[in-house]
Amino acid sequence: MSTVSQTQPVRQEEPAPRVSLAREYRRFVWRRVMCLVALASAALVALLVDIASGPSMLGLADVVHGLLNPEAMDAGTRVIIEDIRLPYALMAVVVGACLGLAGAEMQTVLNNPLASPFTLGVGAAATLGASLVIAFNISFLGLAAHVLLPLSAFVFAAVASLLILILSRSLGASVHAVVLFGIALLFGINAVVGLIQFVADAESVQQIVFWTMGSLARASLDKVWIVALVLAVCLPFSLRNAWAMTLLRSGEEQARSLGIRVERLRLTVLMRVSLLTAAAMCFVGEIGFIGLVAPHIARLMLGEDHRFLLPGSALAGAVLLSLSSIASKLLVPGVVLPVGIVTALVGIPLFILLIIGRSRRVAL
Amino acid sequence: MTLKLESVTAGYRNRSVFSELSLPEIPAGALVAVIGPNAVGKSTLLKSIAGLLPISGTMTFTGENLAGLTAHQRTRRVGYLPQPLPQAIPLVAYETVFSACRSARGDWSREETEQAIEEVFDTLGIRQLALRRLSEMSGGQRQMVGLAQVLVRQTPLMLLDEPTSALDLHWQLNVLNAVRDATTHAKSIALVACHDLNLALRYCDQVLVLSPDGQAVLGFPEQVLTPELLARTYGIEARIEHCSQGQPIVLADRPLPASVR
Repeated sequence: MSTVSQTQPVRQEEPAPRVSLAREYRRFVWRRVMCLVALASAALVALLVDIASGPSMLGLADVVHGLLNPEAMDAGTRVIIEDIRLPYALMAVVVGACLGLAGAEMQTVLNNPLASPFTLGVGAAATLGASLVIAFNISFLGLAAHVLLPLSAFVFAAVASLLILILSRSLGASVHAVVLFGIALLFGINAVVGLIQFVADAESVQQIVFWTMGSLARASLDKVWIVALVLAVCLPFSLRNAWAMTLLRSGEEQARSLGIRVERLRLTVLMRVSLLTAAAMCFVGEIGFIGLVAPHIARLMLGEDHRFLLPGSALAGAVLLSLSSIASKLLVPGVVLPVGIVTALVGIPLFILLIIGRSRRVAL
Repeated sequence: MTLKLESVTAGYRNRSVFSELSLPEIPAGALVAVIGPNAVGKSTLLKSIAGLLPISGTMTFTGENLAGLTAHQRTRRVGYLPQPLPQAIPLVAYETVFSACRSARGDWSREETEQAIEEVFDTLGIRQLALRRLSEMSGGQRQMVGLAQVLVRQTPLMLLDEPTSALDLHWQLNVLNAVRDATTHAKSIALVACHDLNLALRYCDQVLVLSPDGQAVLGFPEQVLTPELLARTYGIEARIEHCSQGQPIVLADRPLPASVR
């Protein structure tokens, strides 16, 4: 009797009860919401530490207690917190948020990871607009200088954005070409600002220099409110475009075929970026690199779904500028450095890292 | 559901790619391969039907003039897959497809959208990619995600520009099967630009051959794809043979010298 090797009949495996993709995705979204909450908490902590730090150090507990219950503070501490530290720290948060949001939107619509109001010369253009008003005491339609200055900063920022838009559209410019154009614009504008400084009187020169350095020192609560208002007006419009921007990132042609008017989206977004940049800069001057770095941090944490990326980038910007503000007070004891100098010192190495990382990826 | 083109001229600034192109009516449920040599206007044709290029002439889809539709109406009727792959960015596949639904199928409830996405990931066999970032995927995988963005919308007209260019053999067959199913079940029309004549012969009901002299031929694959036509359009010497299962296959032997063309 021959032995027949019997093969086991292959048992049909029961398909494992599958979790629906929608549910898995919801869990995924939940993690992102938690990330956003974490960022918001980080911003809050940074704000409190910012208020606490300075020439006379306060305890965190004192700050919280003082803010919640202003009556209980002694007069000296109250003046320090309410008149000096609070506007200063809040300004860092709102300006950082404006720049973070503007940077994220700009990187998306120009499809360029090196884009930001600062690297593409939009900030420099705002400086030029401001310098003109400061140096020549221009009056227009009887508007006061404190209205005219932000307005002129915005107009110049918008013109710079339009130039970038025209360039990237008509020349189909590559990532690096647009950045190089931005650098050329930056140099050109700096030269003109230099010229204005040369002809302007001493007091104007001092004001312009203050602008170009970027400092939170002249913050007041009214000014904080104005910047916060601009942010509050822009953010809902940004979020309304969030789906369109997400689609734009996955492919321009695809987005177009899905009924998104890409040109119009680019234009409205860049106008919004100009407004946010001008608002962020009009009271504190040029603050670089926040708008470049914050979107990258947000993207690493939250991915590219713009429902999360845009608020995430704004929060990351707020955290970054708060931390820079803390650093500006602690780096040299007893001296408060202009915060723009701190962000540039920290930002430039990061910018170089981004360029290196990018050219490596392109080389591969 | 039928598609008809009458004396359509399209092109880019100052340069028309094809002019006065007229095609007989394409019936519902037809899978049409658009073939022809490079730069002959395959992509231009698909783009102009998708409404991404200005055209002259009339394109009628199920009695409606396509050019007269609003962008919103058009997204309900026409799904277009562009030739470039989706970018390698940190967007996850599910979001990519979800955002396409959000934009094009605002009429669906959340459940309907989730259901449609679930189905399309299963049909294409890319369920395991759903929560992966596009930046971590290969080119072929991204192409599948791009295709999912189009198929999920269940449009009655699909325009796919080289949907298999980055795919290996398994996935090529997989994609064409999925498109075939969509046209058979939903009676929709699909125009697929491709370079693989054998895939076209195997899967498509009709082929549309665009030749460099501006002529277009539409017909059944075995009638249209002849050695003469291949010589004229591609400038190659080719044979149409039948395999052991009786399927026709194109065998390209050699390029013809320019003088013969």
